[in-house]
Amino acid sequence: MTSRRHRRLWGRTAVPYALIAPVVVTIALILGYPLYFLVRLSLQQYGLFELIRHKGVGVGLANYRSVLHDQIFWHTLLRTIVFTAANVALTMVVGLLIALLLVQVSRPVRVLLSSGLVLVWSMPVVVAVQVWYWMTNFENGVVNYVLTHLHLGSFEQHDWYASTFSQLSMVTLLIVWGALPFVAITLYAGLAQVPRDLLEAASVDGAGAWMKFRDITLPILRPILLILTSLSIIWDFGVFTQPYLLIGQSKVTPGNFLMSIYLFEEGYFKSDYGRGAAISLLMLAIVGVLSIVYVRRMVRIGVET
Amino acid sequence: MKRRSIAALLLVTVVAAAVAATTSGATKKANASSITVWLQTDAQSGWADLVASVNQKFQSDHPGTTVNIQYQGWGDHLQKFDATLAGGGGPDVIEMGNTEMTKYMAAGAFADLSSSKSGFDNSGSWLKGLAASGVYKGKTYGVPYYAGSRVVTYRSDLFKKAGISKLPTSTAAYTADAKKLMAKNGKKGFSPIYIAGTDWYFGMSFVFDYGGGIATQVSGKWKGLLASPKSIAGLTAYKNFFAATSRASKTTDETHPNPYDVYAQGQAASMIGPSWFSCCVGAKYKGSTAQFVMPGHVAGTSMPGFLGGSDLAVPITSSQKALATDWIKDFTSTSSEKTLQAKGNIPNATNLLGSTVNERAASRSWFVPTAKHWVDVENGNILRNMLAQILTGKLSVKQAAQSASDNIASVLNQP
Repeated sequence: MTSRRHRRLWGRTAVPYALIAPVVVTIALILGYPLYFLVRLSLQQYGLFELIRHKGVGVGLANYRSVLHDQIFWHTLLRTIVFTAANVALTMVVGLLIALLLVQVSRPVRVLLSSGLVLVWSMPVVVAVQVWYWMTNFENGVVNYVLTHLHLGSFEQHDWYASTFSQLSMVTLLIVWGALPFVAITLYAGLAQVPRDLLEAASVDGAGAWMKFRDITLPILRPILLILTSLSIIWDFGVFTQPYLLIGQSKVTPGNFLMSIYLFEEGYFKSDYGRGAAISLLMLAIVGVLSIVYVRRMVRIGVET
Repeated sequence: MKRRSIAALLLVTVVAAAVAATTSGATKKANASSITVWLQTDAQSGWADLVASVNQKFQSDHPGTTVNIQYQGWGDHLQKFDATLAGGGGPDVIEMGNTEMTKYMAAGAFADLSSSKSGFDNSGSWLKGLAASGVYKGKTYGVPYYAGSRVVTYRSDLFKKAGISKLPTSTAAYTADAKKLMAKNGKKGFSPIYIAGTDWYFGMSFVFDYGGGIATQVSGKWKGLLASPKSIAGLTAYKNFFAATSRASKTTDETHPNPYDVYAQGQAASMIGPSWFSCCVGAKYKGSTAQFVMPGHVAGTSMPGFLGGSDLAVPITSSQKALATDWIKDFTSTSSEKTLQAKGNIPNATNLLGSTVNERAASRSWFVPTAKHWVDVENGNILRNMLAQILTGKLSVKQAAQSASDNIASVLNQP
């Protein structure tokens, strides 16, 4: 009896582990090994000379020290945090507004709107950057043309990439535009979970639209909002393609660096791969800290329900 | 029994030999079957026909060998190259800008071609400056490919219409002509002289014209020169010249857009750039396009121009070094260089020099500091950023120059 019971117990506890084992092993292989290699690289002097010989020289924490003593690192970090906050906030607010709109509009309009969103989503980033670049072009850009013809001021030959603020604003527009479909459609799906009778009951009790949104819709959407926000933070903090291509290599300077571009310039352009590895690990740690609040709250919500 | 075993043994030997023969033939063929060459897109838009004819000759001299040409852009070819140094699959021949060579030669990225130097046409009379960019510690790693100076490409019809009968012989005269051109072509967005704001090759020409410089080595240490009074005079002159003559973006570089595209759309009366720009001015303006040497601020002199150029090198990772060297020999032969010259480039050797506008412009030229870390200054856009700051008025000439100068010194003095 006891042995049989024991066996059953053992089987019960072992099965879940056996089931997740393939995933754990796969993740360990495809994430763990590169991560290990990255850590090793970050502790080495590894430049062009070492690259050709495939052999680095161990230097301990020198790369980390040099990065943390770099003024540019701290300025870039601050800029990237502000940039990320602006991008995530805009994405979430506008995404939520679009989702709420999707609920309200008639079926044909909803189909039209969501197909538009899916089209945006399906556009490859590099193509989108190119289109954006054309539209905001200095010489013949359609944005300058339209703004001028709407008599919103003289935008003839307006340079949208003249200042850091303007450059990053263009990048923000592009990123938010590209991120909206995912956020809006996911939130729209979440809105379907809001019980209609609850909203109706609230109306009967005299609740206004804002009150209903604040006290019914928002609490139900909270888990989804948390997931989307933490994902957006991770994406926007490390975004590379949009800023690098839209601003253009020849305009990238320490004055407009974002973290990923700083990493690219230090690691690849200067062929200092050890230092680049140190920067990327620091970035990983920062993203971890930034999103830990959200992850913890998400876990707590999971436990509660 | 014995006989049978001997027969069997013989059979095995024959089969083995046959297999060996086919495999050795196969490997030999596979090894020799192709070389990969990385050329810049300049060759693609300017002299793709030369590349094709050189490949044809090379392939007829080396039957069974194919040449795989891959065109690269200046912006990212070094990053791609670094990746192949780490992971393999790289080119057998690579075109390098003359300002990019030092860093790679110092790191040991290229094969030593000193022993085959005499096999290259005109190697005894290679252009000094260009040949020097391919030599490190007395060994030759780069074969001069071609050089180019920067000239003014202009529309003679517009000049004539504006009443300009004589080509300008000083910067001031050119500025006055630009004003005439501006008056005749009032259209918004029209530039009498299209100058990309952050075209540092042109900006630095003013610095050198006024006797300034970028950086110099003083007892083993690099010292920035951009904040010197002479350099500041040059930068101020550039700012004034740009303001009076160009309506290009103050923050863009000389490839976004390509100046010749602006010109071909009829939006510019003249432009500054490599002489091969005449290739792409559009059919409409081909007949009225001509070139002259950019005049300096002292009447009668020419403005010192950047002597750009390319070298060809064989990466250390190549498994076909001999074939690669042979291909370079064909591509830099006297006849190839003459074709390049006909396309408006400066050939790689003094005995081939003629007296075109381009070649005359090269008589007064400047070059970047030959430092291992110079390429980091270029990639870090230190000079471009400085010019943008100056032209947009974000910083005064002095402030911008001082900060760039300090920056350059610290980059060049890295270990």
